[in-house]
Amino acid sequence: MSHTKCGAVGVAAVLLGVALAGCGGGGAVRSAYVDHIPLPADTMTFVADEIGRYGGRFVIGATSGPKTLNPVMGNESSSTDVMNLLFTSLADYDNGRQVDLPVFAKRWDVSADGLTWTFHLRHGACFSDGHPMTSEDVTFSFAVAADSSLHSPLRDVLTVGERMLEISAPDPYTVVVKSPEVSAVLLAAIGSIRILPRHVLEPRWKAGEFASSYSAAIAPESLVTSGPWRLKSQTPGEKVVLERNPYWFGVDAAGHRLPYLDELVFLIVPDQNTASLKFQAGEIDGLDNVKPEDYTSYEKGQQAGHYKLYDLGPSLNTNCLWFNLARVRVAARGRKVGAPVVDPVRYAWFSDARFRRAVSCAIDRDGMIRSVLFGFGVKNWSLQTPGNKQWYDPSVVGPDHDPDTSRRLLAEMGLKDRNGDGVLEDSGGHPVSFTLKTNADNNVRVQMTNFIKDDLAKVGVRVVPAPVEFRALVNNVREDHQYEAALLGFSTAIPPDPGMSGNVYRSAGATHWWNSMQPRPETEAEARIDELFARNVGTLDVAERHRTAAEIGRIWNEQALTVWLPSVVMKLPVSDRFGNVHPTPIPHRLLWNIDRVYVKPPARGA
Amino acid sequence: MRTFILRRVLQTIPLLLGISALTFLLIRLAPGDLLSDLSLNPSVSPATLAGLRHRFGLDQPWYVQYGLYLKNVFLRLDFGESFSRHQPVFAVLREGLFNTLLLASSAAAVTWGLAIPLGVIAAVRQHGAADRILSVLAFAWLSVPEVLSGLLLLFLAARTGWFPVGGMHSIDWDELSVGGRAIDLVRHLALPALVTGLVPLASRMRQMRGALLDVLRLEYVTTARAKGLPEWSVVMKHALRNALNPLITLFGYTLGALVSGSFVAEIVFGWPGLGRITYEALTSRDPYLVVGAVMMAAVVLVIGNLIADLLLAAADPRIAHE
Repeated sequence: MSHTKCGAVGVAAVLLGVALAGCGGGGAVRSAYVDHIPLPADTMTFVADEIGRYGGRFVIGATSGPKTLNPVMGNESSSTDVMNLLFTSLADYDNGRQVDLPVFAKRWDVSADGLTWTFHLRHGACFSDGHPMTSEDVTFSFAVAADSSLHSPLRDVLTVGERMLEISAPDPYTVVVKSPEVSAVLLAAIGSIRILPRHVLEPRWKAGEFASSYSAAIAPESLVTSGPWRLKSQTPGEKVVLERNPYWFGVDAAGHRLPYLDELVFLIVPDQNTASLKFQAGEIDGLDNVKPEDYTSYEKGQQAGHYKLYDLGPSLNTNCLWFNLARVRVAARGRKVGAPVVDPVRYAWFSDARFRRAVSCAIDRDGMIRSVLFGFGVKNWSLQTPGNKQWYDPSVVGPDHDPDTSRRLLAEMGLKDRNGDGVLEDSGGHPVSFTLKTNADNNVRVQMTNFIKDDLAKVGVRVVPAPVEFRALVNNVREDHQYEAALLGFSTAIPPDPGMSGNVYRSAGATHWWNSMQPRPETEAEARIDELFARNVGTLDVAERHRTAAEIGRIWNEQALTVWLPSVVMKLPVSDRFGNVHPTPIPHRLLWNIDRVYVKPPARGA
Repeated sequence: MRTFILRRVLQTIPLLLGISALTFLLIRLAPGDLLSDLSLNPSVSPATLAGLRHRFGLDQPWYVQYGLYLKNVFLRLDFGESFSRHQPVFAVLREGLFNTLLLASSAAAVTWGLAIPLGVIAAVRQHGAADRILSVLAFAWLSVPEVLSGLLLLFLAARTGWFPVGGMHSIDWDELSVGGRAIDLVRHLALPALVTGLVPLASRMRQMRGALLDVLRLEYVTTARAKGLPEWSVVMKHALRNALNPLITLFGYTLGALVSGSFVAEIVFGWPGLGRITYEALTSRDPYLVVGAVMMAAVVLVIGNLIADLLLAAADPRIAHE
């Protein structure tokens, strides 16, 4: 294989560049970058509202610095937010339009049986050190992700059914992926593998040093990247500065190489409150998380604060509560296998769909949106919220506020107020009550539990809200099952496709929270959902997938497997100095198109 | 003296063993672990989680893990790896240690730079207006929690723009001249150092005042005054030197509390020191990093106390450590 080295830099071009920079107009933007590296044969054109100009810096707050810059080893958002900008992939997800986006692969073909995917790579693409990017780098990146000794969560992504995807590279610009089964979310799996430089990392991998390679302490010049950005500098605990990868193959509609900005700074701030103070002091250019209670004050401060509050629409994250239906799987301390983990009296209520529907009917969601979300919320009845452009289905609705139905369902179950204290009792005289745990650091959720307590009191059910520390709650829900009901939510998968949520839908799934990892589906409804999910993810027929997704949503709500609560409508403030700003409810909300964001020329007379 | 130091160093070993064992036990008793966040991710299989738990030794009882830790420490001076960062613990902590020492010594400078002159004024003008005003102010500050005073100062900084809103360096740090960098650092240091330094001010000032008052009542001071020495010279030259003696010990103990004293200010102001690293390690349940940070704070404490004892001996010839 022979490759020409990327970017033969013309001396004349460099000199011209310096000369142009020297007579630049000045103003707010200091540098006028001149791109002197020839564009690759296959550029990728990114759509944007306006053609921008080079220069400037965007500062974003992050509550923690990246823990690692190795995309195979890192998985929490403080690391992935940075790594997703440093490393590209075959295909990515376009947050704005909510569609799949070919990136390093310029296009792909799928065989008639849906099992063989052929990806055609861009010619002339290069890493940030000028080394050509080819199919060998792709196969290498897949191989490390699948390396079982590294325990990377990416290995699970590459497993379809029980078997791994097979990947081969017939030539430098073609990658063939063979899947053991048809999978509707295969592209998402492939897109989650970030392209790593084989020429740098293969020796480290063979030496058994891969896990500690590309650690957060790396010297910037040693980090060879494949994405639009590369590392410029970093100060641990303070900031991470990215600069443009001069070899990136992305261009704007006029053929200028992206990104426009000279620098992108992740400034580490202790918490959201300090970030908001820093935003008001002009030290940060945009916030990626604002509480609904603050929207109005941000709205009012736009003019004076020189920023714009963007409306992102409904979040793709959900809020819901569920009851603990878990059973004892390992006998211990006098507990028999198969017995419910919670008190059997309560299990009798929780496992009755009428009870769960009654709880759902007791909650006044309009009131909750008004009081807890300050009016900035929408009702939601499935994992696909109204913010989901491809998969939201308005025909899927659940048991909404109707206290009479709620009382009728509870009465049907034989729950009556036998002693006149305002709380229902069952035939054994047990008052109908349960504790509702949520994570204490999430103010909206804590207020939701208090709201639910008041609403359920109106139908005679006593709720004891119990805010607990986040990790303790995860441990309760996931490991020891020591809870009665929990109010949490599901963060959106990327892409927000129902096929990505198999572990939530399937009764054997690990995040089928209310009763996870069932050896066999315990209820008829769950068996039916298992079957529908397998059909949903096992076909590439989009219309059929919409039908099965809607059917799953219908059964879910009929059973009230979870009691759905409203989702928040998101708004974010960003400094008005920048153009092409287009925040989305899918993370990263601000940075997904940061390669197209630019500093607007100062307005005349300002 | 040498044997004294040696004995103190040897005493430190069981202390550190006890501290590390306790920290290990406590972090394992806390619900949830390093992988709690990951376990919420629907695309991660239980097998992967189990594999990671095994790799980090989280599937072992705490004493087995602790034994392994001790073995690595003693045999190879290896303090373990930060699981969340895939870096040696020592490398992570080193980042923060210098910054914490800088903040803590500035805070100590604030405390002592104010406590001594103000204490002297309060003693000389005993029961006067200055004495009362200073007491009221110092105790008022003492009663405001550090978190609150820190947040109020941050708010002030954001509103007025007089000071940066937390952090240690400006974004433009790299482009600043040497003088510009010094000014920038002082501007960033001012508020957290003030918040940390003003907390012990009230008690230090009262101690200075008390010590000086004691000395001023002694006969040699009366003699000096009787000789006709100016009051200034009596207080500063004769009385203050002797009054400082008990404060020297206190100063040594302050050194010990240097590292732990500024944790709150570090977290509120986003100061990139040990405090923030420890806090992050605790919230992400990164066991070796927590133990490493606690040990480092303990070592600084022990060294501070040792210096205090040595200073005491140096200042007062009547005390000798054999």
